[in-house]
Amino acid sequence: MSVLHKKQAQTITDDQQDEEFRTFEIPGLKAKEERKKMRRRTKKVHPPRHLRMRTDQEWINVWPTASTFKWSAVPFPVRQGFVKTQTENEGVIPGKYANAELMKIPNFLHLTPGHIKKHCQAIKKFCTAWPRGLETDESCEKYFPLEVVESDYCVSGPSIRDPRARQVTVKVKLSKLDLDYHARDKMLRLVGNKYNHETDELTLTTDRCPLKKQNHDYAMYLLTALYHESWAREPWEAEKTEADMERYFWDQSKSKSGIISLLTRIKNIDKTSHSEPDARLIPYLPEDVTEETLLLLPELQTYKEAVEDLINEGENHTTVMNYKNSVKKLLNIKTPPS
Amino acid sequence: MSVCNPNRMLLLKQPIRSWCMRRAIQTTSVTNKNLRAGQYKSTIHRTKPLTYEETQQPFKIGATKSWNSWNTSNLHEEGRASETTTEDMFIRKFMGGTWHRLLASEVIIKRRHNMIIIACLVFQAVPPRKMYFLSGYTEELLSTFLNCPVKVELQTVKDKKDIIFKYI
Repeated sequence: MSVLHKKQAQTITDDQQDEEFRTFEIPGLKAKEERKKMRRRTKKVHPPRHLRMRTDQEWINVWPTASTFKWSAVPFPVRQGFVKTQTENEGVIPGKYANAELMKIPNFLHLTPGHIKKHCQAIKKFCTAWPRGLETDESCEKYFPLEVVESDYCVSGPSIRDPRARQVTVKVKLSKLDLDYHARDKMLRLVGNKYNHETDELTLTTDRCPLKKQNHDYAMYLLTALYHESWAREPWEAEKTEADMERYFWDQSKSKSGIISLLTRIKNIDKTSHSEPDARLIPYLPEDVTEETLLLLPELQTYKEAVEDLINEGENHTTVMNYKNSVKKLLNIKTPPS
Repeated sequence: MSVCNPNRMLLLKQPIRSWCMRRAIQTTSVTNKNLRAGQYKSTIHRTKPLTYEETQQPFKIGATKSWNSWNTSNLHEEGRASETTTEDMFIRKFMGGTWHRLLASEVIIKRRHNMIIIACLVFQAVPPRKMYFLSGYTEELLSTFLNCPVKVELQTVKDKKDIIFKYI
């Protein structure tokens, strides 16, 4: 290294000796050579894709899935925006190039008839024919009386789980269950407001377990337990009084004993004071008046039905008129000729 | 105050009493619309360039321009409104920093199921190689931060003049 330096030093001193003097350069006197501008080489951007598209191309290959609007791939002209005056975009609605509004809105370029046809063909192999014999809603209800309602939820969030998806609703018509009068009555008492009288539907909704499957199982368990509990007859059920009755029964009511004692008294009066049949207060009464014979009378049967209807159905024009007519017939009350 | 000004009253052609009565009775409710927020001040020579997004005032969202965030969290009985908004703010900050001086539009964030789609316009100021790196970087990092797949759907703009809608 040191040898090299020495050599260089020698050559410099030789040059200086040759020229004798160094020339003095006055700064600014001589025009400097212009520095070449460094220009960044920009790569040529390809022309938009829609210029190279054939008119008979397959659109599904261009736009296979849902995607933001791409102006370069859409071959038709489209504009979006609002222009108020000539100062805004020279009075022209912005076109598709560099239009952020078009990128915001959802587009359906991935759901053209061609796409749908292809989707259908792809999922066709998973489809089965509709079962025979289940063409109508009535037949579906007949063979599948139990209706289970579950929901899945799609939300925009990082989790695909949704707490609302665990809810399971089970619906069944009570007429489809095998229940006698006592079991049906007990079932209605057990379920309370979960039974709809108008549609005869029992609705059980479960959401206490964290998973849908667990809630479904729990609903099935509830239905089974309800059914068997309804059929069970507990010893304390025999202690049911008139106040506990779900509806009015004339046979167990005070009305029955009252009307029988009344009819018996009338018969006694007829026996003692009115010997001829025409003068009797109630001519149709039999000679031996007992509870059994009285209950067989058609007049008393109509009265019984009228009273039951009046109390169970409520007072309306029909029931009140039926009650009036039955009482008139039973007690042989004749309207005086006006 | 102006109604009580006697000079102004003299200027009025119509009888003062009827004018005052018409002025005093207000039958409609007051519009408390803030017309100054989110608006750009105009310059003397109208030299300030604005994009379409900037020209439309905030109260025109839904009429002449649409939302920048598309998700279901503000619908009835849907949750996660605050989380979504916070995440969107984070994404916007992240995009502004990662694509520094490159963004040509607002960042549009669309959520479909658990996927986040980020769409925006960018200038062609960097070579494509760098642009691919940046979009991959954005997708990868945001996916890690937000625990869900993130897609960046870009469109490039050649010149700044292409996005200018109006000079104010």
